[in-house]
Amino acid sequence: MTDTQEPYIALSGIRKGYRIGGEAIPIFSNLDLAIPRGDFVAIMGPSGSGKSTLLNMLAGIDRPDAGTLRIGSSRLDQMGEAARSSWRAHHMGIVFQFYNLLPMLTAAENVELPLLLKPLSARERRTRVDKVLDLVGLAGREKQYPAMMSGGQQQRVGIARAIVSDPGLLLCDEPTGDLDRKSADEVLEMLRFLNRELGKTIVMVTHDPQAALYAKRTLHLDKGDFIEEKRAA
Amino acid sequence: MTFLDLARKNAWRKPLRTVLLMVCIAIAFLIYGLTASFLAGTQGTSAASDDILGVMSAAGRTQPLPLANMSRLTTDPDIAAVGYMTRLRGFVEVEKNVVAVSAADPALLIAVNGKGLGLTPDLLAAIGGARDKVLVGGALAQAQGWTVGQSITVTAFDTAKQDGSRDWRFEISGIFEGENAATDTYFIIARYDYVNAARARGKDTVDAFIVRPRDGVSSGQLAARIDALFANSAAPTRTQSEKQFLEAFLRQYADIGLIVNLVVGAAFFTLLMIVVNTMVFAVRERTFEIGVLKTLGFSRLKVMMLVLGETLFVFTVGGGIGLALAKLATTLAGPDLGLVFSPLIAAKALAIIVVLGLATGALPAFNAMRTPIIKAFRTR
Repeated sequence: MTDTQEPYIALSGIRKGYRIGGEAIPIFSNLDLAIPRGDFVAIMGPSGSGKSTLLNMLAGIDRPDAGTLRIGSSRLDQMGEAARSSWRAHHMGIVFQFYNLLPMLTAAENVELPLLLKPLSARERRTRVDKVLDLVGLAGREKQYPAMMSGGQQQRVGIARAIVSDPGLLLCDEPTGDLDRKSADEVLEMLRFLNRELGKTIVMVTHDPQAALYAKRTLHLDKGDFIEEKRAA
Repeated sequence: MTFLDLARKNAWRKPLRTVLLMVCIAIAFLIYGLTASFLAGTQGTSAASDDILGVMSAAGRTQPLPLANMSRLTTDPDIAAVGYMTRLRGFVEVEKNVVAVSAADPALLIAVNGKGLGLTPDLLAAIGGARDKVLVGGALAQAQGWTVGQSITVTAFDTAKQDGSRDWRFEISGIFEGENAATDTYFIIARYDYVNAARARGKDTVDAFIVRPRDGVSSGQLAARIDALFANSAAPTRTQSEKQFLEAFLRQYADIGLIVNLVVGAAFFTLLMIVVNTMVFAVRERTFEIGVLKTLGFSRLKVMMLVLGETLFVFTVGGGIGLALAKLATTLAGPDLGLVFSPLIAAKALAIIVVLGLATGALPAFNAMRTPIIKAFRTR
């Protein structure tokens, strides 16, 4: 958080709350955060601490009530919905806890989804899909449907889908929360590879302390307004 | 994979539901195709001409007019050709097998409407061979299984011969097919001189004069002038276009066009309700996935287009099947039932497919478009 160079992700004075049944529920009152390009950050914290809200704001699917939120050169807090959609399509990949693959599409078609938003030919899309499926160790399983795959394999498809557009930022929402230890370690190794070898900036929300060890550093979020930083072991 | 593939795969997610929807749509478009073909065919009036005028008695279409009026009509400079005919209705073999015979001067009939009826010089020569020769329309010949050279006996309902018999014996000398498939060819053309000479009553009278105006002459104005010409005579006339006459004739029984439109309208309205309801539920089931797509970067517009593409796909396949069945039915039964599935009907149906596809997809597409991602994720 104290890098001398311009941070890739910069949150400043973020205020965010929800209104439930007429009652205001504050999540963040004055949140600051800086993440340099190429970092791999694990965010931990108890339920209700605001981890998901933070991730939603970083993904541009929720907006802060106040404060500035900049990723790269984009001010997400100032963007409209259409601009944020376009930004997500070009700059961010997301890995979900439950993979969230579309059941009627094959592995290759699920991975291809984000590429439909880009001006690429069918051949270029196919090349990219094959490349990332090979990268995540699923070459030869292009035509398999999610229901035919294990949880670990589905999550690899999810990762392939997240990186197929070659985004600079990878957001992971409990990516190992639904996996056994072995599969979880494989997925985390893959994320570490993407960070170290391909230079992806990764923000991973997790409850799993062992998963956090794969990150370069861990941020603890508590009651939404306090972040404790610890270096991962 | 393309957007269309994605829409198609979404549609096939629950195959039984999609197939049932397509069956509903196919039935609706089959109804549309058949009813529209009915209206366009000889059972309707669209094949009838707006230019050819029929001059009948103002007292009723069964009341005769004197043949002598012909000479007054031929002197009108705005009339290009005029013919006459008298109708002889009867049956062949059994009373249910009703046929109509138009007794006319073939040469004059050709001059008035030879092109429309498909009357050629060869056919004119053939019917001129003997007084009892007749030309049979293609639809009637096919329905009855008649061939050239065959002798037929028509037992008239009203028109008796001088010997008291009502059996009229004719020999088929040719078959006319009409200008196109929409032309009514379900009747017989006999020679007026034969019928007129042999009948017991109503000699030298006709049921109608048939008038073709010169090019550029308003048929409406000419009709009014003809009626004015005979207004003070012993047999006042009423002149209508062939189309007006047929429409008025059919309206005696019912407003066919209105009934057809109501049936088709009801079918499409019901279809609209069924598909909208089904699609709303189908899309609601996928709210979470819509959230996923939006998270991947699919804009509201693209999500909306995806849902619209899905309903368009279902309508295109279902409607296409229905229209193909309608085309098949009209091809197989067309000549007997007078059904004509024209390119215009197909074009209108395609337009309806697009409009209904978009209309039924609009509500679920709008819902999908508006659903916030966070709200979508809460639906799991």
